[in-house]
Amino acid sequence: MRNHEGPDITRRRLLAGAAGSLAFALMGGRLRSSAEAAEPEPGAPATDQPLITHVARPLDAETPPQVFTQYLTPNDQFFIRSHFGPPAPESVAPAVWRLHVAGLVERPLSLSLNDLSQFDEVSVTAVVQCSGNGRAFHRPKAPGVQWEKGAVGNARWTGVRLRDVLQRAGLKDQARHLQLQGADRPVVASVPLFTRSIPLEKALHPDTILATRMNGAPLPLLHGSPLRLITPGWMADSCVKWLTDLTVQEEEAGGYYMQTAYRYPSRPVKPGEVIAPQDLKPVEVMVVKSVIASPQQGAILAGGAAMVRGVAWSGEGRIVKVEVSTDEGKTWEQASLVGEDVPYAWRQWQFLWRTRGSGRRTIWSRATDDRGQVQPMTSAWNPGGFLWNGVDRVQVQVREA
Amino acid sequence: MSQRWHQPVGWLFLLPLILLGPTWLATGRAEEQPIDQQAQRLLAARCSVCHSTDLVLQQRLPRDRWEATVDKMVHWGAHLDKEEATLLTSYLATYFHQDAGPVVALPAAPSVQAGRESGATPAPGGVAARGAALYKQNCLPCHGEAGSGGVGPKLARNPILAQADRFRMTVSQGRGAMPPWGSVLRPQEIADIHAWLNALRD
Ligand code: HEC
Ligand code: HEC
Repeated sequence: MRNHEGPDITRRRLLAGAAGSLAFALMGGRLRSSAEAAEPEPGAPATDQPLITHVARPLDAETPPQVFTQYLTPNDQFFIRSHFGPPAPESVAPAVWRLHVAGLVERPLSLSLNDLSQFDEVSVTAVVQCSGNGRAFHRPKAPGVQWEKGAVGNARWTGVRLRDVLQRAGLKDQARHLQLQGADRPVVASVPLFTRSIPLEKALHPDTILATRMNGAPLPLLHGSPLRLITPGWMADSCVKWLTDLTVQEEEAGGYYMQTAYRYPSRPVKPGEVIAPQDLKPVEVMVVKSVIASPQQGAILAGGAAMVRGVAWSGEGRIVKVEVSTDEGKTWEQASLVGEDVPYAWRQWQFLWRTRGSGRRTIWSRATDDRGQVQPMTSAWNPGGFLWNGVDRVQVQVREA
Repeated sequence: MSQRWHQPVGWLFLLPLILLGPTWLATGRAEEQPIDQQAQRLLAARCSVCHSTDLVLQQRLPRDRWEATVDKMVHWGAHLDKEEATLLTSYLATYFHQDAGPVVALPAAPSVQAGRESGATPAPGGVAARGAALYKQNCLPCHGEAGSGGVGPKLARNPILAQADRFRMTVSQGRGAMPPWGSVLRPQEIADIHAWLNALRD
């Protein structure tokens, strides 16, 4: 894993204090502010940027937006979100790993990787995005990893349909939810497990897959090897990694990570307001969103013309329009949608910007999908800081032509 | 004569402190340390067991959310008593509040902390009886009961115990996920922990 670790002014300032070494350890070695984090590593090509680490252990690291000039996000540049970190590799080695299917089924199953490979192989190109992507932009700030723009990626996932596996087991009439459990474990046993569930309709959807491959390669350990659930169009809190147990139930999963975390209010709320549990629903479908991949934040551009490029996606809709504003929202111009138009994947877009004059300029982008969802200026505040999709903004400096 | 007389009296005077070592160290030391430093020390020792403390320091929360967060962590297994939880919450609410800037330079510790690990003075001999409490307070969350191991390696019968200097340097400078203790513990205290670990049998 490559992390930002270059010395910088912030670090020097901290080290100057007598408590410097302790402070440095407390910061987990990442002393770049969010603004600095978006700056490129000198000498590296724009697309070959290391991940930006937010939490060193267990690792939470996001992709620098300039990597999104590529349609598929490379595996080693794909964001990493860990609740407890990966399980010991031996515990999920092919020889010992099994997928158990139990609960409200006619025939409980215990499947090896080889058993799984007997099902039809399918692939889906889909955006996987952390529910907390963009949390850092919510005001007031919400607790959790302070993700900015890059807790998202687009990859080609290959595996088998979850539906086929569930049909092999046979569902009983009362079946309504599928509980998901992976092999990762907290370091202290009193911490709740990352246990999740999805409603049966999503589980039986033909595009919901149990993936063993990512962009053509075996799933890397940090991304859930040997098996990860992919729920296209839904936020990644359902895309459980290191899957070992599927339990068919009548009810949603219990526990912290399903009943308390990853919930979103079903009505507008004010910061600090007490929200009744019945007004909080699990985070599911992604909202419409665009991100500017190039130019990058703070770039210095030669005057004349510049190509603005980015990606846009929406959970269950299709992107029909991306607009760009270079005058802080007074006027908007349409970008062209380019590349492949595939359900669940993101859409690339570009905009030829004729820069007039010189100096600081802002570039804003906003996407619209075929269901009429438009990216708002800012997203509704919510206690978990989820589903941020405010208009993306980048500031650049234009030189005299 | 008078000198001879003085020494035993001095020792007798210290005796209760030695016997009550653990309590004295836990409270006496704590009061001697500025509160921000006590809080930083708690953060390093108790909050980095399950995750690195960068997760904590990137938050900007109002006091009630800090209270709720620290409560949740204690409920999940963070080792903090009531007083320590209050101290830490107050520190976090003071410096990591909602309007705090993007990087908060931790307030500098007072100069008594500087140069503790000068290396110029020879390593002191440790007192195992004092090491137990220091271990419990600072090392147990990661290295387990009686040095049995946890997030950090097993320390009971660990070969590093045979090399007092390496032990002292590793502990005071930190290594990997282990924070440096040099600005937190005195060389004497590290030696006391060393002596206590050395006396453990598995
Ligand atoms: C017993 C394990 C454990 C200890 C010790 C611990 N934490 Fe946590 N902490 C967690 C877990 C688990 C999470 C949630 C991680 C996730 O979901 O990614 C978390 C998350 C957090 C968060 C992010 C916000 C949130 O609510 O998820 C903060 C802030 C935090 N911890 C602060 C602290 C502080 C301060 C301490 C020391 C008092 C501490 N933690 C000690 C387990 C622990
Ligand atoms: C936050 C968790 C944590 C705390 C608290 C902690 N340690 Fe560690 N310690 C570790 C980890 C993790 C390692 C392994 C570091 C590495 O090699 O990457 C380690 C390594 C060590 C080693 C080296 C062991 C070897 O096999 O070489 C010693 C000695 C040690 N710790 C002593 C202590 C002492 C003494 C304390 C209390 C003053 C302490 N540690 C507190 C996490 C911790």
